[in-house]
Amino acid sequence: MSVTVLITDGPLAPQEVRLPSPAGCGSLLVFEGIVREIEDGRPLMALHYQTYEPMAQTMLATLGREIVARHELIALHAAHSRGHVPVGACSFRLEIHSAHRKAALAAMDEFIDRMKQEVPIWKQAAWA
Amino acid sequence: MRVLFAMLVTVLLFGPFATVVGSSECTVELDNDHTCQAILRRLSDDLPALRPLLSGARIAINAKFADPHRDVLESDEVALIGMVSGG
Repeated sequence: MSVTVLITDGPLAPQEVRLPSPAGCGSLLVFEGIVREIEDGRPLMALHYQTYEPMAQTMLATLGREIVARHELIALHAAHSRGHVPVGACSFRLEIHSAHRKAALAAMDEFIDRMKQEVPIWKQAAWA
Repeated sequence: MRVLFAMLVTVLLFGPFATVVGSSECTVELDNDHTCQAILRRLSDDLPALRPLLSGARIAINAKFADPHRDVLESDEVALIGMVSGG
């Protein structure tokens, strides 16, 4: 199994080249979180993400390993932005490789829910 | 025998905590009790604006969540971690 975690400045770059799937992989699920232009009914210009490092990095990796083990995944790759991310740009990407889709779908939901509850990352709105 | 002494602790603040306090850190003075739960109590007493946000908040020491009964050392990095909002 393989787990990678990356916290990077600014928006995440589009994934133009996809690496070959690992052996045994029958499902590849990719989720991208995009900064919405409207939040709570107000127009937004950007989100500013603050992270507490290295705790955020460590907790994302620990969470990734737990999710991979629990759902018997083949690989999990997570990337999160820090700093300024404008409307329309990607701030979070989760890529899950598994033998079957059901495991990947369940793992995707659990990882994101737990990240939003546990990992020390905060966002602040920059209103338009 | 346990030696008792007062201690100043700098606490890192993030997200809503930093916004409310207007700073990315604050300092609290602990008397004889140097535990994480004593830090939370002191923050609540000294910075009333934080109180509404402290429910469920935890202290992290050296970038790991710490047991509430763990004593803080002068060399520790102490952070207040409340509700997070990544993603």
